[in-house]
Amino acid sequence: MPTTVTMPRLSDTMEAGTVIKWHVKEGDTVASGDVLADVETDKATMEMQTYDDGVVAKLLIGAGDRVAIGTPIAVIAVEGEDASSSGGKAATAAAPAASAAPAAAVRAAATEAPVTVTGTVVMPSAHADTGARARISPVARRMAEELGVDINSLRGTGPGGRVIKRDIEAAASRKGGAASAPTMPVVAAPAPVAAPSMPVVAGPGSREVAVSGMRQTIARRLVESKSTIPHYQVSMRFNMDPLLELRKMLNAQLEPQGVKLSVNDFIVRSCALAMAQHPFFNASWAGDRIVIHGEVNVGVAVSLPAERGGGLVVAVIRNADQKGLRQISLDTRALAEKARTRGLGPEDMTGATFTISNLGMYGVDNFTAIINPPNSAIMACGAAVERPVVRNSQLCVGTEMDATLSLDHRVIDGAMAAEYLTTVRHNLENPATLLV
Amino acid sequence: MSTVTLIDPTMTATREIEFRDALREAMSQEMRRDPRVFLLGEEVAQYNGAYKVSKGMLDEFGPRRIIDTPISESGFAGMAIGAAMMGLRPIVEFMSWSFSLVAADPILNNAPKMLYMSGGQFGCPIVFRGNDGAGGQLGSTHSWCVEGLYSNVPGLKMAIPSCPEDAKGLMTTAIRDDDPVFFLESERMLGMKGHVPEGDYLIPFGQAKVRREGTDCTLVSFGRPVNFCLDAAAELAKEGISCEVLDMRTIRPLDIDSIVRSVRKTNYCVVVDQSWSFGSPGSEVASQVHQHCFDDLDNFVHRVHSADVPTPYAFNLEQEYLPNARRICEAVRSCLYRA
Amino acid sequence: MSMLSEPSTSRPFDVHGKPGERTSAPATTGRRDPVDPALCRQWLRDMLMIREFENRCMQQYQDKKIGGFCHIYIGQEAIAVGCTAAVRPNDPIVTAYRDHGHALARGMAARHCMAEMFGKIGGCAKGKGGSMHMFDREHHLYGGHGIVGAQIPLGVGLAFACKYMDEVIDGRPNSRVALAFLGDGALNQGAIHEAMNLAGLFDIPCVIICENNGYSMGTSIHRGTTMGHDIISKAIGYGIDGYVVDGMDVLSVYHDMSAIVEKCRRESRPAFVDMRCYRFKGHSMSDPRKYRTPEEENQYTSDDPIGRLKLHLEERGELPEAVLKEMQKEIRDEVREAIAWSEASPEPPMSELYHDVFVEPHGPFNGTSLPQMLQGKDLR
Repeated sequence: MPTTVTMPRLSDTMEAGTVIKWHVKEGDTVASGDVLADVETDKATMEMQTYDDGVVAKLLIGAGDRVAIGTPIAVIAVEGEDASSSGGKAATAAAPAASAAPAAAVRAAATEAPVTVTGTVVMPSAHADTGARARISPVARRMAEELGVDINSLRGTGPGGRVIKRDIEAAASRKGGAASAPTMPVVAAPAPVAAPSMPVVAGPGSREVAVSGMRQTIARRLVESKSTIPHYQVSMRFNMDPLLELRKMLNAQLEPQGVKLSVNDFIVRSCALAMAQHPFFNASWAGDRIVIHGEVNVGVAVSLPAERGGGLVVAVIRNADQKGLRQISLDTRALAEKARTRGLGPEDMTGATFTISNLGMYGVDNFTAIINPPNSAIMACGAAVERPVVRNSQLCVGTEMDATLSLDHRVIDGAMAAEYLTTVRHNLENPATLLV
Repeated sequence: MSTVTLIDPTMTATREIEFRDALREAMSQEMRRDPRVFLLGEEVAQYNGAYKVSKGMLDEFGPRRIIDTPISESGFAGMAIGAAMMGLRPIVEFMSWSFSLVAADPILNNAPKMLYMSGGQFGCPIVFRGNDGAGGQLGSTHSWCVEGLYSNVPGLKMAIPSCPEDAKGLMTTAIRDDDPVFFLESERMLGMKGHVPEGDYLIPFGQAKVRREGTDCTLVSFGRPVNFCLDAAAELAKEGISCEVLDMRTIRPLDIDSIVRSVRKTNYCVVVDQSWSFGSPGSEVASQVHQHCFDDLDNFVHRVHSADVPTPYAFNLEQEYLPNARRICEAVRSCLYRA
Repeated sequence: MSMLSEPSTSRPFDVHGKPGERTSAPATTGRRDPVDPALCRQWLRDMLMIREFENRCMQQYQDKKIGGFCHIYIGQEAIAVGCTAAVRPNDPIVTAYRDHGHALARGMAARHCMAEMFGKIGGCAKGKGGSMHMFDREHHLYGGHGIVGAQIPLGVGLAFACKYMDEVIDGRPNSRVALAFLGDGALNQGAIHEAMNLAGLFDIPCVIICENNGYSMGTSIHRGTTMGHDIISKAIGYGIDGYVVDGMDVLSVYHDMSAIVEKCRRESRPAFVDMRCYRFKGHSMSDPRKYRTPEEENQYTSDDPIGRLKLHLEERGELPEAVLKEMQKEIRDEVREAIAWSEASPEPPMSELYHDVFVEPHGPFNGTSLPQMLQGKDLR
């Protein structure tokens, strides 16, 4: 069986070689170690030897030809063997193509290289965009998000106007107490919430959990709310049967569109429509005056999963009185999803004028909530449950839900609360009105 | 560190000794414990050590284990590496790490790579130790801080104590370690006194120590400048700035977890490193802090290094060239936007 | 010490010496006992094995199976074979980058040597060292080393450790001797001078063997080294006995090295050997050898150490044709099998990238992961 000699690698960086001169001709007898040809590499002209004894059956390329490493260039037959046996012939036939292709490849590489370079040089021109992005330190950005501070409203005191940690802290303390304009975010006071006067004794087996910035914010705002707002509660029970029936029907129709209305969506719409009728439920106490807001923005309390650090945020559905059930549903779902995954931005959490807290999904019957300043009211909804009820003087099974309003007595009196709840009841118990 | 146990220094007897005594105590205790351990270097035996670190060791261990070498760093460093490949545990003293540069090939090309290049067949349990950093008006050639150069190389460990207690604990660990350890001392600290535990005392590599707790700014440092950081922290406390000082104790492995924990608390980080700034442990720490604490930082990591010039001779220039408490205070104030 | 005779007119080329120059008097090694023919045949086999292995290495390199740099030992086989025959199996050896011959002579299986160059897990260093870095703990080979001259301080350290173990740890003499090989190109590196000074100073039993092939890469010894005709003068300057040995004759190598090694062992002293030889091939695979003439090459290749040993045996009727043919066939098969085995050996798994950085684990870096073939060997 003849041996095919291929273009050898004669240096560590060599890719292709040129046969400068053949030292043998077809028919010559060669022994292992004999020089077959001079080959020019990228580094030098080298002698190329044979590793096998035999007769040169065929030279497949001529002097001056340049081919890639591994290309067949000669055939050596063991002495006595037919020099023109099949292996040699096949190699001969293949030779021109084999030698031409790598040479073309070498040329192509040489001409393509600059093109590639030019391409990469041209690309970075996109740097021109400097934009009007706010300069802010990473931790300040994070704190602003947690505390709901609008960074665009701040002037940074760092180099070049960079907003830094202390600017956020200052903004938080400045705006924390003021319950004035509706668009003003409610933010935290700078100091940590004071420990109780009764010392906390860490007994055996106890452990400490670090308090996150969000937990501090919740603590601060609710202490402030509960200790400065004169809270009182008014409750009402609603017949949910018509609503649940309508919801079932609507969801069956909306299912192909991927929309699924929740009970809470009906409650949001009911409250929003009622707020439009009862403007003091869309108002804030501002010390020497009461501000009645122009937009009806309903906040929905969302608890965050443990992997996002737990805690509570209020997601805001803006202009809820002007949105249909379907839009409210889509908005709520989008906000809840964002809260649980990427986290809500300040624009998602600021500007609520009324808040709904719903623990119905946990089977809670009824509870009271603390007002989310600068709101004047919050509604706490329990679960819709089946109970024995009297309707049309008949004892039967009905589905009912309890809701409890917590109210700021500086803004809303008891009778006003009762009127508001009556409107809400009308909306919930005649759900068709929610569709128009 | 399978064999290392940390002994709480408060649980065992201590007494006040000098940094050099602590080094000697660790080496002597290990030499009594393990006959494979020996010390070689220039003037370590009959002269009792150019800096008296090995004082008295020749008397105890004899000339076969406390070996005076000629001034021939490349030769004796390479020789010790060959001995370590055979299973001995040499301690090589460079009178100054500045002199190790002529031994760069054996200490960088052989010791840290032997295990890898031999596919795990030959390790190199060796300790290179000596004075690192400016000694005091020694001029540029003798004032090298080699941590910037050498910590770049994988396969070696690098310990850099800042006090006598750590000198002993880290040296003992270094000698028992199966990998090559570069142990950086400081001529300026050899006379420093401190409480050091008696008996076996090991400090695991890769565990930083909080030398001062604080809430406003994290100061990260290695070796002698840790002490400057403590001075600066005391000064800054008068201004109401509370600094947390981390003594890294080893550069490789680097205890980045401790740094991250502190920076997440303070939101500010200043690294103090006596080597030059370009491609240094300080720049490595800064890079890693920016990576791990990006959303916790209120300012970029500030760094205090030796000035980016050859070490000057003149006293005043050298003082300004080195990291010092004043420059650290300035860096902290700037980092905290209080400059 | 045949090499020191005046160059004859029939040998016009002498890469080592210049006629008429003063030379130091080499130490002598005493009389020679005849060698058992069976042992001679074994050496012939070992040398043929290295020759065939190196030939196929060149082929595999040219086929791109072997990467990086590759330095071929052809022409110098008598040195590795004769030197290893002259020492005990547990005497440590260290050499430079032209190291395949030493590895094979020391007993490394051809497949592990070849697989190392193929960058396969079956290599002696799991494919992490390559051609220039052959390590074999079982056979006390402390490496091929890629930096010229850097291995000599290590070799002195190996011998230092042998002596230290005898004196400090064991308290009983094993009297091991280390062999440290270098090329004549390393003579001008500072490290070897420091190492020789230390060896002379500390009475370290290390035999420093300069495989003097007359060329450091393409620079002849006379263009790069003072006293190039008399390199033992350098060792004598460090108080070390110097010997000149004909490295083209395995019998000379064996006889002289046996005497030198035993003297070092007995006296716990270093020695330096000017081992005169010729590199038949280029410095590395990419060397066009334009710095020397074909005539010079022909003169030396016609004095092939393998041919010499063959002749020695044949003259005595101790190498029947059939025995030689069988030997050559076995060797060809063994090398062919080594290549096939190396081809079949898997590449190192990616996890190997992070193995062997530290003995003790730190971060992603782990201690050694010895494959099956390296396990159970003489590991500490």
